Amino acid sequence: MSPRLFVTVASLQARKLMSYRVDFWVGALATFGTEMAIAYFLWQAIFSTTDATQIGGFGFRGMIAYYLIVILVSKLVFGRLRDLTISQEIYEGTLNKYLMYPSPYGTFKYAEHLGNALPAIIQAAVLGFLAWWVLPLPEELGITVASALRAVASLLMANLLLFLLRFPVQALAFWVDNVWSLNVMLRFVLEFFGGLLLPLSLFPGPLRELLDWTPMPYLFYQPTMVLLGEVDTLAWARGLAIAGLWVLITALVSREIWRRGRRVYAGVGI
Amino acid sequence: MIQVRHLTKTFWVHRKPPGFWGSVRSLVRREKVAKQAVRSVSFDVEEGEIVGLVGANGAGKTTLVKMLAGIVHPTSGEATVLGRTPWARDDALRRQISLIMGQKAQLWWDLPAADGFLLLREIYQVDPAVYAARLEELSRLLAVEDLLDIQVRRLSLGERMKMELIAALLHAPRVVYLDEPTIGLDLSAQRAVRDFILDYRARHRPVMLVTSHYMDDIERLCERILILRQGELVYDGSRQAVVERFARSKIVAVRLRGEVAPHALKTLEGLGRRLSAGEGQIRLEVPRDEVARVAGACLELLPVVDLSIEEEPLADVIERLQQSRRDELEGALTGAGRDAG
Repeated sequence: MSPRLFVTVASLQARKLMSYRVDFWVGALATFGTEMAIAYFLWQAIFSTTDATQIGGFGFRGMIAYYLIVILVSKLVFGRLRDLTISQEIYEGTLNKYLMYPSPYGTFKYAEHLGNALPAIIQAAVLGFLAWWVLPLPEELGITVASALRAVASLLMANLLLFLLRFPVQALAFWVDNVWSLNVMLRFVLEFFGGLLLPLSLFPGPLRELLDWTPMPYLFYQPTMVLLGEVDTLAWARGLAIAGLWVLITALVSREIWRRGRRVYAGVGI
Repeated sequence: MIQVRHLTKTFWVHRKPPGFWGSVRSLVRREKVAKQAVRSVSFDVEEGEIVGLVGANGAGKTTLVKMLAGIVHPTSGEATVLGRTPWARDDALRRQISLIMGQKAQLWWDLPAADGFLLLREIYQVDPAVYAARLEELSRLLAVEDLLDIQVRRLSLGERMKMELIAALLHAPRVVYLDEPTIGLDLSAQRAVRDFILDYRARHRPVMLVTSHYMDDIERLCERILILRQGELVYDGSRQAVVERFARSKIVAVRLRGEVAPHALKTLEGLGRRLSAGEGQIRLEVPRDEVARVAGACLELLPVVDLSIEEEPLADVIERLQQSRRDELEGALTGAGRDAG
């Protein structure tokens, strides 16, 4: 696929999402507000009932900052949280049109996935700005130009990695009548072990060491910690290398599942 | 241009027993049954031909088209389109073929058609100047120049179909598959789509393979038809020949001076089966070898102003073909068509 086509597909997808103005703003505000409110009240209760000033390396304000950043990071990585496009296209037969195109389906869908994340940048900027005034954040957040640049690289890698982790599960729709429950399970696992629900610094040491070799921490936790300036250059590069390895593995798995699935595809709608 | 040899497709479908316990049982074990959608079909299509693919629901028309478009892999058999295997990953072939499915939208629902066309320009790498000229020609022929900037979901069904046609033809494909191109359209939209297809074909001469349940589509567009029955190709030949070979009767239409008198109706009873009568007109279905005698009798016995002899509608002939027993069909097909089956 040419870079020009890739950009066109991503831009078209972004424009499609932004054509629904009310959904775009109300949906973003409602989910962000709910998630932040849960984090704020939960951690306020935890900190007020314990004598600890630090939990998992975070003070109360630091913890709120972590949740603010990780929630915004997740918007950029997920694009659309409940995106089941690939499995739906297999079930409904709308995959047919993509199979007619002289361009690879996976790359086409990744361009759309990235396009889903583009409007999230606008949402994250607006929501981040609002949160800055409303939430009790630390006076110094530790975000620098260098940490922001490193975070952009981590975010791009996380976005691609998430797409490739979800692709094989969705492609199981070639054989399985409903992949919704598998998707929910996968999402829960990725969110929990990826640091979206809890900072991974709260996990026991051996588990964290094990998780470091899996793709999960590089989805939400590491980009967030990189942006907050908590990850040195060596650890950042190591994280990128491990995530890159997982990109390669999941790309190969996706390719094989896709190749086999295409042979059983009937091209009819349910 | 298209060569098909013994193409076969078998789908495996799950069978679930009815009722609550059937559902419980299917949680543990499900029975799989084979369904043969296409059985050893062979035919050739030459450059510039427009061929109609006819058959009842489930006859295998769409599956055959999907295999030739490279969407579905066959179970066995071979096919080449423009010398290439359609289901192999071959972008050079994909740039030269197109599929229009009346029941499935190809365009992006939430965007104006113009945005979708721009994306297709990038996908097929059409030169911008060539693209502009083609878009101008196609939108003018279909009279949709003013609708290009409107979201696809806000267009009527007929307008959407016209946009789908433009989307499918922007890259000037050499082979076009049309699967039910007029389904759901009103009569005037159906006519507009048919006229456009004929006009486009006359200008650009692509190979076209058309499936449709509307016999008007087939009669207007196709000289040659392939008839599929339960996945088997039972007829491959000219449209006219199928009527001449399988039509048992012709229609004698008579216009009389004034109203149709009761005695005239009685006279006609013995000549053939009355299809309609009224407002000075009568239509009779008569056996083919009785046509001359019946026409002569009408002219002799009735105050005839005008008389015409029509073929039995193609739809009726094909329906009879579909419903006939296998041994009857094989007997009738001896010597008919070319390379059938």
